[in-house]
Amino acid sequence: MKRIVRNPDILWREEDDAAAEAAALLEQGGEAGEIGTAILFADGTMVTLNLLGTEIWKRCDGLTEEELVTALLEEFDVEADVLRHDVANFLQELAEKRYISYV
Amino acid sequence: MSEYILKAPLTINWALNNSCNFSCRHCYSRVDTGDELDGPTLKECLTRAARAGVMAVNFGGGEPLLRSDILEIARHAADAGFRVSMNSNGYLIDGAMAGRLKEAGFAKIGISIDSHVADVHDRFRGMPGSHVRALAALDHLKGAGIKTSISTVICTFNHTTIPDLVKMAREHGASQLNFHNFKCSGLGMANKDELDLSPAQWKDFYRDAMTWKQECTDLDISLDDPIIASLGMRDETAMVKGSVCGKLSLNIKSNGDITPCGFIPAVIGNIVRDDLKKVWHESQVLDQLRHKTPKGKCASCSDYAECLGGCSARALAMTGDFNNPDPHCWVP
Ligand code: SF4
Repeated sequence: MKRIVRNPDILWREEDDAAAEAAALLEQGGEAGEIGTAILFADGTMVTLNLLGTEIWKRCDGLTEEELVTALLEEFDVEADVLRHDVANFLQELAEKRYISYV
Repeated sequence: MSEYILKAPLTINWALNNSCNFSCRHCYSRVDTGDELDGPTLKECLTRAARAGVMAVNFGGGEPLLRSDILEIARHAADAGFRVSMNSNGYLIDGAMAGRLKEAGFAKIGISIDSHVADVHDRFRGMPGSHVRALAALDHLKGAGIKTSISTVICTFNHTTIPDLVKMAREHGASQLNFHNFKCSGLGMANKDELDLSPAQWKDFYRDAMTWKQECTDLDISLDDPIIASLGMRDETAMVKGSVCGKLSLNIKSNGDITPCGFIPAVIGNIVRDDLKKVWHESQVLDQLRHKTPKGKCASCSDYAECLGGCSARALAMTGDFNNPDPHCWVP
């Protein structure tokens, strides 16, 4: 299975304050899906990622899709099939934008 | 995510000097006489800005290549983690310099070219032979492996020449063609009557430019003007609504003064003395720019949510209040 790599031209950073806010909301049982916790930025385009997106993006550095799902499952208490589906959709979107590629 | 909760600017436009080998008639920095930060101070400030989370720095001036320590400063910025770019007139970039710029860590360099016609560009820039050298600079940079862009300030003598500008950009391998709207700051204000377009001409220009942008797949045509929103031709690549200054980017002058953008003269801090993140989060001017109040025709305009009154710098320069409608706006 091919390995996922980030496009090196993409600048990105985590938004610490927003990430803390999202984590606190989750802790209280709230919804944090709308909060942008990382920013991807390249040549005049910008994308903000929510908490799950950020966690996926951070791991796009040589893992296969399955390894990435396994890594997330180790850290987050989520349904495997739901996560697999979300990860696949998200990676497809990133690949279409050429933010990641497969080697 | 609301753009104004970003922890720090994504990018800083950083003027390294005010000196220039040209005398362009639309220049905004020639009226600045501020000092220049010395190399060590500049490096320290760059390190702190990188730590604050800023990801890209675009050096400008003046002509940044007139600073003798430009390569050292760029190397420092690249090592600090910045994506480093620069705007230059290209006059001093030969093959050897292009190689040195690559080694210094420049990822991208924008060359200012105002016309595909050499005479027109040379006259406007006040420098005979500058067009030839600007085009040669694009070739040298590409040869050295640095991405290039062409920056063109749109004004009365080039607004109907989009096809020629696109052709020129393609012939010289530029990856981006930036059409800058005319800002009426500095010398641009003094030469406004001769150089600026009428609102109707702006409308025609942007309609054409958007069509070119949508059709050009090999060249990124960038238009940095929020009033395009009222054309109903959405610019999918626009990162925020309204002007980006103070939302995604900041400007630093050669003496370290921080302003929301190069065309808004309000000094909101100084990079040597002040904490960048504190300025970013606490500046009242930035807060006002991020939360504009529609005035005049903007108050009833159906495009306000996307346009946010257009270019704040231009409204401020021409009317004294950035909440007023952008003077380029063609909406009746
Ligand atoms: S009236 Fe104001 S909001 Fe509407 S398009 Fe013009 S500048 Fe933009």
